[in-house]
Amino acid sequence: MILAIAGREIRSALVTPPWWVLLTAQQIVLAWIFLQVIETFSQRGDEQRLASLTQELCLNLFGFAAVPIMFAAPILAMRMLSAEFRDGTYDLLASAPISPGTILFGKFIALQLLIAPLFLLPLANITLLMDSAQLDWGQIAAATVGLGCAALFFGAVALYASSRTDQPGAAVLTALGILLLFSVIGRAEALTTQELSLFGWLAWNEHLFWFLLGTVRLSDVVYFGVFALFFLTLAHRSLVNRRFG
Amino acid sequence: METLVRVIDLNYHLGGQPVLQGINLELKRSQIVGLLGPNGSGKTTCLRLLSGLLTPSSGHIEIAGIDLGRYPLAAQRHLGYLPDRPPLYPELRVDEYLAHCARLRRIPRRAIPQAIVAAKGRCGLSDHGRRLISQLSKGYRQRLGLAQAIIHRPPVLLLDEPTEGLDPIQIRALRALIRELAQESSIILSSHLLPEVQAICDRVLILYQGQVRLDVDLSAAPPHHAWFIHLGNQITVMELSALAPVISVLALGPNRFQVDLAPGAHSGDLARAILAAGLDLLELTPARSDLERTFFDLVGVEEHR
Repeated sequence: MILAIAGREIRSALVTPPWWVLLTAQQIVLAWIFLQVIETFSQRGDEQRLASLTQELCLNLFGFAAVPIMFAAPILAMRMLSAEFRDGTYDLLASAPISPGTILFGKFIALQLLIAPLFLLPLANITLLMDSAQLDWGQIAAATVGLGCAALFFGAVALYASSRTDQPGAAVLTALGILLLFSVIGRAEALTTQELSLFGWLAWNEHLFWFLLGTVRLSDVVYFGVFALFFLTLAHRSLVNRRFG
Repeated sequence: METLVRVIDLNYHLGGQPVLQGINLELKRSQIVGLLGPNGSGKTTCLRLLSGLLTPSSGHIEIAGIDLGRYPLAAQRHLGYLPDRPPLYPELRVDEYLAHCARLRRIPRRAIPQAIVAAKGRCGLSDHGRRLISQLSKGYRQRLGLAQAIIHRPPVLLLDEPTEGLDPIQIRALRALIRELAQESSIILSSHLLPEVQAICDRVLILYQGQVRLDVDLSAAPPHHAWFIHLGNQITVMELSALAPVISVLALGPNRFQVDLAPGAHSGDLARAILAAGLDLLELTPARSDLERTFFDLVGVEEHR
């Protein structure tokens, strides 16, 4: 049943323009950054190089890739629940013998599968260097895993926002608002004492940073997992509450 | 006869305001029950409650003997639901959409192609399997909405204003289809059109302001005994009363009368008697039934208060 719901979502996404536009835009921007990094790195002498090529690519290419994914997740998710509420197609799912949890999980799987090409694009770009440069593939794998974890978090927030309203535009803005809050909340730490690290811990980019450095820490994995689960639980609650009008 | 839907003292409140109050309903096998009422009377809410899309504030709903509140998924297996807007994905083709609906309804994978062919055949969509839903006309979209509701051959069908927005030819075709579906499923349909309900349903519940105001079994209703006639000649009430099947006459205007017939007599007897008396019969129409009177009293009079 989960596969049926996810399959329909993916099919609908592939036959309409938004997903292709997002994928193309992501590749164009990443290709430009990729060339910039390669060109800058190759023009420097050995003594001017502060970091390895892998480090440069991970921090710039993977670091930037997270931002378009953060915008893409709400755009893709708004069709999955919010637009279905608006168009009345959610009635098809809700009147079928399927639980709200199954519906939500099916949509979440579909969203992750649609986002996956976006966070795999940096890896695809880097594979072009496979024969021409020595790269630390362990660090690249960690960065890819980090982007995947961030995508889980973005997807959960986006689906939650989508479950709250039957106006897709409002769903996108709500999701972006939450995600931007989680992006800039780390800056609040600078306003307080350095010892108070709660705000820094709440910011997703602080956790992604460690993945980009090639360090997979359990605490970072738990951060993304816990918040993804938290927003999915809220989304589930929201779907259940729809039955009460 | 087996009862497939049983609703007991159903109440639904929204924001503290009552939307439905004290609804009681029974649907027997192969019966078509019409929920009739003006816009805003609670018909759609009632069907959404029966389909499990909404949870009642109080009351009890049983589908095929299963408590919908306690076992919603088990009860929903016996339901087919066509909302007021057919739940269609315009970017899919007809066959893709029906295959998706079949999977949602838990039809075994091997039986899906057969179920799609059968549903399309019954709804007149056999030649449209490859068409994009966005390219279908409104009538065909409605048919496709109906096809998704019957694809798993449910014993209970809930149809929310199924002929809304269709042209007269499409309405006639859809009514015939609904009557045909009733051979296999019991149907509850909502409408704000009295003639539609009279044409399709065996039983009618008139809903007004969230309450059932009249529950009439049309199949058991007595035949019309009151008729309006318009004659082409001058005739007095006394002369008209003297005709054999007539027991009382009420003059309504020049050459226009309401005639009550004797028990057992029908419109054919009246027409023959009028022609035998050498009169020209220009018009013969049934007078309003109890159902019509109640409906128009509620919709017409009460709304103007």
